[in-house]
Amino acid sequence: MAKIVAVTACIAGIAHTYMAAENLKKYAKKEGHSIKVETQGAMGIENRLSKQDIADADIVIFAVDTTISEADRFDGKKICRVGTSEVVKNGRAVIDKAISEI
Amino acid sequence: MTVNKENFITEKNIVIGLDAISQRDAIFKLSKILEKDGTITNSNVFAKDVLKRESLATTGIGNGIAIPHGKSEAVRDASMIFAKVLKPLEWNSLDGSKVDVIFLMAVRPQGGDKEHLKMLANLSGRLMDDDFLNFIKKENDPKKLVSSFNKEEV
Repeated sequence: MAKIVAVTACIAGIAHTYMAAENLKKYAKKEGHSIKVETQGAMGIENRLSKQDIADADIVIFAVDTTISEADRFDGKKICRVGTSEVVKNGRAVIDKAISEI
Repeated sequence: MTVNKENFITEKNIVIGLDAISQRDAIFKLSKILEKDGTITNSNVFAKDVLKRESLATTGIGNGIAIPHGKSEAVRDASMIFAKVLKPLEWNSLDGSKVDVIFLMAVRPQGGDKEHLKMLANLSGRLMDDDFLNFIKKENDPKKLVSSFNKEEV
Protein backbone atom coordinates (compact mmCIF):
# COMPACT_ATOMS: atom_id res chain seq x y z
CA MET A 1 0.00 0.00 0.00
CA ALA A 2 1.45 3.28 -1.12
CA LYS A 3 0.82 6.82 0.04
CA ILE A 4 -0.21 9.02 -2.84
CA VAL A 5 -0.81 12.74 -2.96
CA ALA A 6 -2.18 14.43 -6.05
CA VAL A 7 -2.99 17.84 -7.44
CA THR A 8 -5.63 18.27 -10.13
CA ALA A 9 -6.10 21.38 -12.25
CA CYS A 10 -7.72 21.93 -15.64
CA ILE A 11 -8.01 24.90 -17.96
CA ALA A 12 -11.40 26.20 -16.94
CA GLY A 13 -11.27 24.82 -13.41
CA ILE A 14 -14.90 23.79 -13.59
CA ALA A 15 -15.26 20.13 -14.42
CA HIS A 16 -12.13 18.11 -15.18
CA THR A 17 -10.34 19.21 -12.01
CA TYR A 18 -13.06 17.59 -9.94
CA MET A 19 -13.68 14.56 -12.16
CA ALA A 20 -9.97 13.75 -12.14
CA ALA A 21 -9.85 14.13 -8.35
CA GLU A 22 -12.74 11.72 -7.86
CA ASN A 23 -11.39 9.17 -10.31
CA LEU A 24 -7.96 9.17 -8.65
CA LYS A 25 -9.62 8.60 -5.29
CA LYS A 26 -11.85 5.88 -6.71
CA TYR A 27 -9.03 3.82 -8.19
CA ALA A 28 -6.50 4.44 -5.44
CA LYS A 29 -9.07 3.10 -3.00
CA LYS A 30 -9.86 0.12 -5.23
CA GLU A 31 -6.19 -0.79 -5.37
CA GLY A 32 -5.67 -0.33 -1.65
CA HIS A 33 -3.58 2.85 -1.64
CA SER A 34 -4.12 5.90 0.51
CA ILE A 35 -4.57 9.15 -1.37
CA LYS A 36 -5.18 12.82 -0.70
CA VAL A 37 -6.09 15.06 -3.60
CA GLU A 38 -5.78 18.83 -3.72
CA THR A 39 -7.95 20.56 -6.30
CA GLN A 40 -6.92 23.81 -7.93
CA GLY A 41 -10.04 24.95 -9.75
CA ALA A 42 -12.45 27.86 -10.02
CA MET A 43 -12.82 27.87 -6.24
CA GLY A 44 -9.07 28.16 -5.72
CA ILE A 45 -7.02 25.62 -3.78
CA GLU A 46 -9.16 23.14 -1.86
CA ASN A 47 -8.22 20.23 0.33
CA ARG A 48 -4.72 21.71 0.45
CA LEU A 49 -1.89 19.25 0.90
CA SER A 50 0.08 19.98 4.05
CA LYS A 51 3.86 19.85 4.28
CA GLN A 52 3.45 16.62 6.19
CA ASP A 53 1.15 15.11 3.54
CA ILE A 54 3.75 15.84 0.89
CA ALA A 55 6.70 14.70 3.01
CA ASP A 56 4.97 11.40 3.78
CA ALA A 57 3.94 10.65 0.20
CA ASP A 58 5.63 7.89 -1.78
CA ILE A 59 4.59 9.50 -5.04
CA VAL A 60 3.00 12.73 -6.24
CA ILE A 61 0.55 12.78 -9.14
CA PHE A 62 0.08 16.03 -11.05
CA ALA A 63 -3.09 15.58 -13.08
CA VAL A 64 -2.94 18.99 -14.67
CA ASP A 65 -3.51 20.74 -17.99
CA THR A 66 -2.14 24.04 -16.78
CA THR A 67 0.52 25.35 -14.42
CA ILE A 68 -0.18 24.63 -10.79
CA SER A 69 0.03 27.05 -7.91
CA GLU A 70 2.78 26.67 -5.32
CA ALA A 71 4.53 23.89 -7.22
CA ASP A 72 7.69 24.49 -5.20
CA ARG A 73 6.08 22.59 -2.32
CA PHE A 74 6.85 19.42 -4.27
CA ASP A 75 10.55 20.08 -4.89
CA GLY A 76 12.55 16.89 -4.49
CA LYS A 77 9.52 14.58 -4.71
CA LYS A 78 8.91 11.97 -7.37
CA ILE A 79 6.21 13.39 -9.60
CA CYS A 80 4.06 11.50 -12.08
CA ARG A 81 2.58 13.96 -14.59
CA VAL A 82 -0.56 13.29 -16.58
CA GLY A 83 -3.37 15.30 -18.15
CA THR A 84 -6.79 15.44 -16.51
CA SER A 85 -8.44 13.70 -19.47
CA GLU A 86 -6.08 10.76 -19.07
CA VAL A 87 -7.31 10.36 -15.50
CA VAL A 88 -10.96 10.75 -16.47
CA LYS A 89 -10.54 8.19 -19.23
CA ASN A 90 -8.60 5.60 -17.30
CA GLY A 91 -8.06 6.25 -13.61
CA ARG A 92 -6.73 2.78 -12.97
CA ALA A 93 -3.94 3.13 -15.55
CA VAL A 94 -2.80 6.41 -14.00
CA ILE A 95 -2.68 4.95 -10.49
CA ASP A 96 -0.74 1.94 -11.84
CA LYS A 97 1.66 4.23 -13.68
CA ALA A 98 2.27 6.30 -10.55
CA ILE A 99 2.86 3.22 -8.43
CA SER A 100 5.32 1.84 -10.97
CA GLU A 101 7.36 5.05 -10.66
CA ILE A 102 7.90 4.74 -6.91
CA MET B 1 -27.10 12.91 2.12
CA THR B 2 -28.06 16.52 2.69
CA VAL B 3 -29.72 18.95 0.38
CA ASN B 4 -28.16 22.29 -0.45
CA LYS B 5 -29.98 25.15 1.18
CA GLU B 6 -30.03 26.90 -2.14
CA ASN B 7 -31.30 24.63 -4.87
CA PHE B 8 -30.66 26.76 -7.91
CA ILE B 9 -31.08 23.79 -10.24
CA THR B 10 -34.77 23.26 -10.92
CA GLU B 11 -36.85 21.45 -13.52
CA LYS B 12 -36.29 24.31 -15.93
CA ASN B 13 -32.65 23.20 -16.04
CA ILE B 14 -33.63 19.80 -17.39
CA VAL B 15 -34.32 19.10 -21.06
CA ILE B 16 -35.47 15.61 -21.99
CA GLY B 17 -35.58 14.90 -25.72
CA LEU B 18 -33.44 17.70 -27.13
CA ASP B 19 -33.71 17.69 -30.91
CA ALA B 20 -30.20 18.51 -32.13
CA ILE B 21 -28.34 17.51 -35.27
CA SER B 22 -24.81 18.16 -34.05
CA GLN B 23 -22.68 19.08 -31.08
CA ARG B 24 -22.71 22.70 -32.22
CA ASP B 25 -26.49 22.67 -32.70
CA ALA B 26 -26.99 21.20 -29.22
CA ILE B 27 -24.76 23.81 -27.58
CA PHE B 28 -26.51 26.69 -29.35
CA LYS B 29 -29.98 25.36 -28.53
CA LEU B 30 -29.18 24.82 -24.87
CA SER B 31 -27.55 28.25 -24.71
CA LYS B 32 -30.81 29.76 -26.00
CA ILE B 33 -32.67 28.11 -23.14
CA LEU B 34 -30.18 29.53 -20.63
CA GLU B 35 -30.65 32.96 -22.22
CA LYS B 36 -34.43 32.73 -21.95
CA ASP B 37 -34.34 31.88 -18.27
CA GLY B 38 -31.91 34.71 -17.60
CA THR B 39 -28.85 32.66 -16.65
CA ILE B 40 -26.87 34.17 -19.49
CA THR B 41 -27.21 37.49 -21.28
CA ASN B 42 -26.29 36.45 -24.80
CA SER B 43 -26.56 32.90 -26.09
CA ASN B 44 -24.34 33.45 -29.14
CA VAL B 45 -21.48 34.87 -27.08
CA PHE B 46 -21.81 32.10 -24.54
CA ALA B 47 -22.09 29.28 -27.11
CA LYS B 48 -18.97 30.55 -28.86
CA ASP B 49 -17.06 30.56 -25.56
CA VAL B 50 -18.20 26.99 -24.94
CA LEU B 51 -17.11 25.90 -28.42
CA LYS B 52 -13.76 27.63 -27.88
CA ARG B 53 -13.23 25.52 -24.77
CA GLU B 54 -14.37 22.45 -26.69
CA SER B 55 -11.74 23.11 -29.36
CA LEU B 56 -8.95 22.82 -26.77
CA ALA B 57 -9.94 19.32 -25.64
CA THR B 58 -13.07 17.26 -25.90
CA THR B 59 -15.56 17.33 -23.06
CA GLY B 60 -16.96 13.97 -24.16
CA ILE B 61 -15.88 12.06 -21.07
CA GLY B 62 -17.06 8.67 -22.28
CA ASN B 63 -20.10 6.48 -21.63
CA GLY B 64 -22.19 8.77 -23.83
CA ILE B 65 -21.77 11.76 -21.55
CA ALA B 66 -20.46 15.23 -22.37
CA ILE B 67 -19.90 18.19 -20.11
CA PRO B 68 -19.35 21.18 -22.35
CA HIS B 69 -18.61 24.27 -20.29
CA GLY B 70 -17.56 27.80 -20.75
CA LYS B 71 -16.27 30.68 -18.78
CA SER B 72 -18.02 33.58 -20.34
CA GLU B 73 -18.77 37.24 -19.73
CA ALA B 74 -22.27 36.40 -20.96
CA VAL B 75 -22.95 34.40 -17.80
CA ARG B 76 -24.86 36.16 -14.97
CA ASP B 77 -24.16 33.49 -12.39
CA ALA B 78 -22.82 29.97 -12.49
CA SER B 79 -25.42 27.44 -13.52
CA MET B 80 -25.97 24.43 -15.68
CA ILE B 81 -28.46 22.74 -17.93
CA PHE B 82 -28.91 19.01 -18.29
CA ALA B 83 -30.12 17.51 -21.54
CA LYS B 84 -30.84 14.18 -23.10
CA VAL B 85 -30.80 14.26 -26.87
CA LEU B 86 -33.13 12.39 -29.20
CA LYS B 87 -30.32 11.17 -31.44
CA PRO B 88 -26.81 10.49 -30.10
CA LEU B 89 -24.30 13.10 -31.26
CA GLU B 90 -20.71 12.83 -32.45
CA TRP B 91 -18.58 14.49 -29.76
CA ASN B 92 -15.03 13.23 -30.34
CA SER B 93 -15.35 11.52 -26.94
CA LEU B 94 -12.45 10.05 -25.00
CA ASP B 95 -13.85 6.56 -25.61
CA GLY B 96 -15.24 7.31 -29.07
CA SER B 97 -18.84 6.98 -27.90
CA LYS B 98 -21.63 9.15 -29.24
CA VAL B 99 -23.21 11.47 -26.72
CA ASP B 100 -26.78 11.29 -25.51
CA VAL B 101 -26.42 13.02 -22.13
CA ILE B 102 -25.17 16.60 -21.90
CA PHE B 103 -24.33 18.72 -18.88
CA LEU B 104 -23.77 22.26 -20.14
CA MET B 105 -22.07 24.30 -17.43
CA ALA B 106 -21.93 28.07 -17.41
CA VAL B 107 -19.48 30.02 -15.28
CA ARG B 108 -18.29 33.63 -15.13
CA PRO B 109 -14.63 34.25 -16.01
CA GLN B 110 -13.90 35.36 -12.44
CA GLY B 111 -15.63 32.38 -10.91
CA GLY B 112 -18.52 33.80 -8.92
CA ASP B 113 -20.91 32.41 -6.36
CA LYS B 114 -19.09 29.74 -4.37
CA GLU B 115 -22.22 27.72 -3.67
CA HIS B 116 -22.97 27.43 -7.37
CA LEU B 117 -19.39 26.55 -8.26
CA LYS B 118 -19.35 23.98 -5.50
CA MET B 119 -22.48 22.39 -6.88
CA LEU B 120 -20.95 22.16 -10.37
CA ALA B 121 -17.72 20.74 -8.95
CA ASN B 122 -19.65 18.22 -6.91
CA LEU B 123 -21.71 17.16 -9.91
CA SER B 124 -18.57 16.79 -12.02
CA GLY B 125 -16.98 14.58 -9.43
CA ARG B 126 -20.06 12.40 -9.18
CA LEU B 127 -19.81 11.65 -12.90
CA MET B 128 -17.00 9.28 -11.95
CA ASP B 129 -19.47 7.27 -9.87
CA ASP B 130 -20.92 4.36 -11.82
CA ASP B 131 -24.15 4.29 -9.80
CA PHE B 132 -24.77 7.97 -10.49
CA LEU B 133 -24.05 7.43 -14.20
CA ASN B 134 -26.49 4.55 -14.41
CA PHE B 135 -29.11 6.62 -12.64
CA ILE B 136 -28.88 9.64 -14.95
CA LYS B 137 -28.80 7.42 -18.03
CA LYS B 138 -32.02 5.66 -17.08
CA GLU B 139 -33.97 8.39 -15.31
CA ASN B 140 -36.10 10.69 -17.43
CA ASP B 141 -38.21 12.24 -14.71
CA PRO B 142 -37.01 15.86 -14.30
CA LYS B 143 -38.12 15.95 -10.66
CA LYS B 144 -36.02 12.94 -9.74
CA LEU B 145 -33.04 14.21 -11.72
CA VAL B 146 -33.20 17.64 -10.03
CA SER B 147 -33.45 16.05 -6.64
CA SER B 148 -30.37 13.95 -7.31
CA PHE B 149 -28.36 16.86 -8.74
CA ASN B 150 -29.01 18.92 -5.65
CA LYS B 151 -27.73 16.26 -3.32
CA GLU B 152 -24.29 16.77 -1.96
CA GLU B 153 -21.83 13.98 -2.24
CA VAL B 154 -21.28 12.24 1.08
